Amino acid sequence: MTGRERILAALDGKPAGSLPLMPITMMFAGDFAGVRYFDYATRAEVLAEAQLRTAERFGFDYVSAISDPARETADLGGAVEWFDNQPPAIIESRALLHDKSTLGRLSLPSPEAPGRMKDRVEAIRILKREAGNDLLVEGWIEGPCALGADLRGLNSLMLDFTDDEDFVRALVDFAIETEIGFARAQVEAGADLIGIGDAAASLIGPRLYREFILPGEQRLTSAIRAMGARSRLHICGNTRRIIGDMARAGAGMIDLDYFTPLAEARAACGPAQPLAGNIDPVRTLRDGTPETVTEALEHCWEESGPLYIVAAGCEIARGTPYENVEAMARFARDHAAA
Amino acid sequence: MPEFEKLHQAVLDGDQKAARSLTEAMLAEGVAPLDMITKAMVPAMDEVGRRFECEEYFVPELLLSARAMKASMELLRPLLTASGAQPAGRVVIGTVKGDLHDIGKNLVASMLEGGGFEVVDLGADVAPEKFIEAVKQSGAQIVALSALLTVTMPSMRTTIDALNQAGIRNQVKVMVGGAPVTSQFATEIGADGYSENASAAVQLARKLMAGSQA
Repeated sequence: MTGRERILAALDGKPAGSLPLMPITMMFAGDFAGVRYFDYATRAEVLAEAQLRTAERFGFDYVSAISDPARETADLGGAVEWFDNQPPAIIESRALLHDKSTLGRLSLPSPEAPGRMKDRVEAIRILKREAGNDLLVEGWIEGPCALGADLRGLNSLMLDFTDDEDFVRALVDFAIETEIGFARAQVEAGADLIGIGDAAASLIGPRLYREFILPGEQRLTSAIRAMGARSRLHICGNTRRIIGDMARAGAGMIDLDYFTPLAEARAACGPAQPLAGNIDPVRTLRDGTPETVTEALEHCWEESGPLYIVAAGCEIARGTPYENVEAMARFARDHAAA
Repeated sequence: MPEFEKLHQAVLDGDQKAARSLTEAMLAEGVAPLDMITKAMVPAMDEVGRRFECEEYFVPELLLSARAMKASMELLRPLLTASGAQPAGRVVIGTVKGDLHDIGKNLVASMLEGGGFEVVDLGADVAPEKFIEAVKQSGAQIVALSALLTVTMPSMRTTIDALNQAGIRNQVKVMVGGAPVTSQFATEIGADGYSENASAAVQLARKLMAGSQA
């Protein structure tokens, strides 16, 4: 069974052999391949090569085009600060929607036009061509809360939820339309699954999440499903208070950060929801040992029960010892997916 | 409802208009600014912190309360300064060089201000020399460093080293925080304290001011 088959089987609730292995790698992959992160984030062929080498070396079941949150914002004209060897960052003090009225004049970005979105689509094309039969190919988009924060500024958006509900709704609508177009381009280029990163959603609490963000995430997962692809909802941070609502997002898999015990997630999401995660990427995976990594994964697996996918709570951090990542891979291979 | 309680409630509710108008009215009645801070503002922000820690409040609610508190403090601060009243302490805060993620730092800055501290907020992506300059200019007793990314955590060490080299490390306590930061890391880089969240940061700052190693 190939890695791609293993993941797809697990997402369908069918026998998958061993546990699927889907940890997020960005800077770890760039470092492993010996490339500057600037190149990783700006050149499709560099990202693809690093992902392929990392997946091969550590036995991952998939490759991903995730790199940073600034692709859509950059193409829309937002200010981005570049670094030589770390991910680009959106400059909040010069947020594109600092003036909210700008939203009404903003056109949807085209993933086909020259720019950072097109570069990711190209990375998907390479990954599909080079490994698409063996490894699952993952595309990546921002969720509605994340893209809203990227465009408006995170601090401002947090106040907008109370100060200007109509603006937030319009912003979420714009984000969804942007991301459906971006997801479609990636699926057409060969992505089997689209990751939806919606980190800012962990900051807002259940009431606002339910009212403003969940409906947008539901539209996204539904659109991705209609494209014939799967979805992975990843919300960095503490999601304990919204996991019950995340369960209704319609995601093919829910990928949890380390704050949320998988037992709580399983209770909230029910037995049919594939869950991924969620060992602490810093304290356990980077700073621990193969033994503590294995122990932590054992705990995750026990808490999740069936439909468990091996991953860290978030990106495998730069500087994580290889033997700890190997311990993850060993754990996945040595345990049969129920 | 007595006026202190109304002001307290306005901050809790994140109602900046009410907080400002109540402050104006109380000042007109001759209520002492320091009393308004100690009897309304500080307890209200302590309660906001408590609710945040037990997940009754989330970031939007905390920022709304902070904005209401600041609307009141804008009126009170000049009066306090003129009267010679001393803050609970003076804190220079910023995200370290290379890190543009500032919401956690903003939460901590607001909670510190609500806790009676004077806060010199240097913003995001702050170079070590700017921290040094701000400490020298403000006479701050505490430097608070924030990082969201594992890749920018080394800038915390660089900043502490720079404080050492500038000969002012002994004048200040250094506290650190941010999602990937651990107490072990704080110890390794020679910080005086680590806090896990914005509310705990206020308690830590109070301990550091009291001279006890947290």
